Amino acid sequence: MTGLRRVFLAVTVFGLAVAPLLSTPLQLNRLSRLLVLVLAVLGVNLLTGYTGLVSLGHGVFVGIGAFTMANLLDLRLPIWVALLAASAFTGAVGVVIGLPALRVRGLYLALITFGMALAFPPIARQLGSVTGGVSGRPVETDFLPPSWLGIEDQAHIWRYGVCILVVAIWFGLARNLVRSRMGRALQAIRDDETVAALFGVPVAMTKTGVLAVSAAMAGTAGALQAILFPYVSHTQFDVFLSLRLYAAAVLGGLGTLAGALVGVGALVAVPTINDVLGVIDNESIVFGAGLIIATLLSERARRRSATRAVARS
Amino acid sequence: MELFVQRCFDGMFNGAIYASLAVALVMIFRATGLLNFAQGEMAMMCGYIALVFLSSSDSGIAGTQSIGSLLPGHPWPTWLAITGAVLVGFALGALVEELLMRPLGDGSPLAQVNVTIGLLVLLNGLVLQIWGPFGRSFPSPFPSGMNDHFLIAGARLRYTTLGVWAVLLVVIVALGVLLRYTKTGLAFRAITSNRDSAELVGVRVRRSLMLGWGIAAGIGALAASLVGGAIVLEPLTMMKMLIYALAAATIGGLDSPRGAIFGGLIVGLSQSLVPGYLGVPSELSLLPPLVAMVLVLLFRPHGLFGTVPVERV
Repeated sequence: MTGLRRVFLAVTVFGLAVAPLLSTPLQLNRLSRLLVLVLAVLGVNLLTGYTGLVSLGHGVFVGIGAFTMANLLDLRLPIWVALLAASAFTGAVGVVIGLPALRVRGLYLALITFGMALAFPPIARQLGSVTGGVSGRPVETDFLPPSWLGIEDQAHIWRYGVCILVVAIWFGLARNLVRSRMGRALQAIRDDETVAALFGVPVAMTKTGVLAVSAAMAGTAGALQAILFPYVSHTQFDVFLSLRLYAAAVLGGLGTLAGALVGVGALVAVPTINDVLGVIDNESIVFGAGLIIATLLSERARRRSATRAVARS
Repeated sequence: MELFVQRCFDGMFNGAIYASLAVALVMIFRATGLLNFAQGEMAMMCGYIALVFLSSSDSGIAGTQSIGSLLPGHPWPTWLAITGAVLVGFALGALVEELLMRPLGDGSPLAQVNVTIGLLVLLNGLVLQIWGPFGRSFPSPFPSGMNDHFLIAGARLRYTTLGVWAVLLVVIVALGVLLRYTKTGLAFRAITSNRDSAELVGVRVRRSLMLGWGIAAGIGALAASLVGGAIVLEPLTMMKMLIYALAAATIGGLDSPRGAIFGGLIVGLSQSLVPGYLGVPSELSLLPPLVAMVLVLLFRPHGLFGTVPVERV
């Protein structure tokens, strides 16, 4: 771990620790809802950054996670069970979508996922019994701290803590994943699919596996959002959510786990800054410009270091 | 029968628009191997600019007032406004190539895709910021009154449909002539087949690419300006158009202009016929083209008319 990373990690942990002390319950709840999106950004990063598969449709998985959570809670399942089940279900949906989508190469996956992101809201509107149709549906949840903690009046802090815990668990899993044999297989696929196959990486299976994990992560984000703000509607999961998630993943830095944290920092900061300054009331301009600038800068840096490497040899 | 013919005619109108955008996509793909996800939004920007050109200064549409004081004879007649928008589109395309794509060189495809996605998000935000979320209807350049149609087998073939196809065919023929019989076209083909060698034998790669992007964006602008009379212009219009055009281009084969037209027709027809006969709700008209696209990608990954590349490792 380099010095800069350590500083970054320290700042992040510190920021997350003091946030509950500095904010009102409403603000903290909003922060939690944005924070859980880090899982979706991490999912995009796993897919795009590590495996080189562009996903413009992770908002769909967030949506599926949220709607599944709402329906599971109808069955009076405990929150933890429902959370696990919703994540697993979203992962399974990822596999179903992945089976055809991952057979195609390169940019075509971007196409298919983009279409998915556009098609999801109208489909959700049609499935009224599951999604509440046009107007959406409330979520029956009592996401309250257990009574033995004695902080019933501090429910927002409990929720925030739970979110951080879940995010941390997923981060640990992702870290182990990318450092394992599987992680190396992913990066081999990113660098050259044909070469990876020649070296014995089961390409289709690895891609499907990573899509499942990535979708499950986004599903967890959605499920947590559904209990943080107990109302789900198709308008929350439109194509712009998917595009914002993608932009956040690129802004944070593809191919690094910390990148997801930085990216979600952007997701939190942009609307906050917009609220305060009130210059531009739509985030698309900021995210679009940010995505372009970040890409141009990182490409330039990459080229410079490549030139330097050549000069040294 | 009557209904069937009518549905075909309806599908043909949309098909022409999708085909034009698909041709623009193919144009860029052939020259640079890049899928321009911003194609639709660039076109939409130009559509709004055409709207500004042809609306009177007191229409309350942003920009009409300042444009009106700058341009002689404003508001312009429809055809002049469209010509103006196409020219603006050309400039926009050339500018995008010069400022955003050229600095990337022939770097990683992922970086290029990221820039076009950033541009998509940015332009969408800009349009929303400048012109607001309202739907704007748009006069058609062709006679489009109640009685402006031929009756064929009891179904109405509207003049607008014929007009759009006529324009499209003229564009295609002109493009074909340009690519096949002029020195500029020769330069394009040289760049497509091998960029470095083309540069070595004196092809002005930079100028040719700017021209290519300009022409593609100009075609897009034309497509967006011709939707008038049938489709309301609003900030989400072109994102849907883009996915239809991407589907059309993929079905036809990404490197084949002929395929793009054919694909556009298929997508347009499937969009009007499938919901009608299979009882898919019209809200889900996005699905048939998407499904068609996925099927084509699975079984003929390079489209119906595309060339199958040989991969070297």
